[in-house]
Amino acid sequence: MSDPEKIDTETEYLFSLVKSQYGDRLSEAELEEVKKGVERIVETSEELRNVKLGNWDEPFSVFIPFREEEE
Amino acid sequence: MNTPVFTSIRKLSEAIINGETTPIELTELFLDRLQKHGQTLNSVVTLTRERALKEAKKAEKEIKEGSYRGPLHGIPYGVKDLCATSGGIPTTWGAAPFKNRTFDYDSTVVKKLGEAGGVLVAKLAMIELAGGMGYRQPNASFTGPCSTPWDLGHWSGGSSSGSGASVGAGLVPYAIGSETWGSILSPAGNCGVAGLRPTYGRVSRHGAMALSWTLDKLGPLCLTADDSGLILEAIAGYDAKDPSTSKKDFKHEDNPPKSGFKLAILKNGLEGAEDAVAETFKKSIETLEKYATVEEVEFPEYPYEHITRTILNAEAASAFDEFTEQGLASQLTAPEDHYGPYARTIVLAKDYLKALRLREKMCKITEKVLRSYDALVVPGRSRTAPPIDQEFRKISPGTSRDIVGAVGNGAGLPSIAIPNGFNEKGLPTSIQFMGRAYCENSILAVAQAYQGKTDWHKVHPERFTV
Repeated sequence: MSDPEKIDTETEYLFSLVKSQYGDRLSEAELEEVKKGVERIVETSEELRNVKLGNWDEPFSVFIPFREEEE
Repeated sequence: MNTPVFTSIRKLSEAIINGETTPIELTELFLDRLQKHGQTLNSVVTLTRERALKEAKKAEKEIKEGSYRGPLHGIPYGVKDLCATSGGIPTTWGAAPFKNRTFDYDSTVVKKLGEAGGVLVAKLAMIELAGGMGYRQPNASFTGPCSTPWDLGHWSGGSSSGSGASVGAGLVPYAIGSETWGSILSPAGNCGVAGLRPTYGRVSRHGAMALSWTLDKLGPLCLTADDSGLILEAIAGYDAKDPSTSKKDFKHEDNPPKSGFKLAILKNGLEGAEDAVAETFKKSIETLEKYATVEEVEFPEYPYEHITRTILNAEAASAFDEFTEQGLASQLTAPEDHYGPYARTIVLAKDYLKALRLREKMCKITEKVLRSYDALVVPGRSRTAPPIDQEFRKISPGTSRDIVGAVGNGAGLPSIAIPNGFNEKGLPTSIQFMGRAYCENSILAVAQAYQGKTDWHKVHPERFTV
């Protein structure tokens, strides 16, 4: 279960970052919508953080070193 | 063959071989229909008349000379306007800032269809940037809101809007769409046509707009499940220009099994569904039970939607980083798309990576649920086409959960949606068959068997019948 206070705090911090970067190009009403979007992202992230994984659980994508094939 | 309009590719190709029609005749017919009805539906961005007639003439000559390439040879098609096309034909991504942009090469899917003898007649309308900015209404494209041919006051679905509407109105025999999360199945459902989302990596994404590199898929919208298989066979395959493409071959089965299927349905799978959707789904299951066993399954609790949503948010933020930084979102059509890209710029790297780590678990959970079945059967969409002038997320409360969509797209699984009835207003409903990775032939067989027992795919909107 996610902690609402923690979500609010994180939302405020992350929203202030978005606002500092893009606030000059958005209206107050648009910024309100952006804040709701940030909150949804924080809630979504919290759900992921609540699932425990082992150190060995890798991302499901494989890095393949590249070497150009010689003619 | 009475008329080529609303005729399957399988039958059109037979008609070409038998001399009942020709590639040039077909091309001129569908160009005329696109010209006549495209604006009514808002389904067309660019008619590619010159290129089409050139390709049709070439196809006709080859066929006459005995160089027949296969069932797509000489058949016209349209492509969602996020696939690059050469020759000065614009590729707009449905977005005003790109409405005059051109590329000097063909996307792999267009190239492959050309090699199969296909005739490109139109670039088709789409939701701006494939819906990647978070649109909430049909009016989210510089070409205007796209209607379903069943009722011009209702939406075609998206983001492959023009692909669904143009096939549904008989303006093209088939079209290519793309899906990151729902963008093929939604227009297929709203427009009453077949839409196949292939396994991730089956079809090269080279030359197609990227919304989310690990979620984007290209696939066909057409009249029948059988046609979906024919098209997939032509466009599938490894492409060195798209490292995600699979080296596994795909060959559509000409005579797939017609019975003996083992199907799964979801426990509580109709929660939140519109009454008509629930009703047509139950009737479809009764039909399916005549040639298949049907068992109830359940997905264990897991943050499926959060995993796929986080991957989509993070990858879209990166894919459109320059677009966002340049402030181009303010030029988009839907007001909510003006601010849509900003929130997701703060997805943390550790959360994106956590989603990618959880994705493997999600894939394994899903494989465990699906491995004993030929297909998971669920409604194609939980609701029929919404009114064209309203925010659809507002009028569809309770439909925000989409576990099958999250799992299907997050795990890269194939799915096909086909029509299975109508609601009281005459808007189509659809049924979806989702399968295990690389098992397109299993879901196509089930869908073909269903279409062999029903006639929903043979019913077309009266306004657009000849």
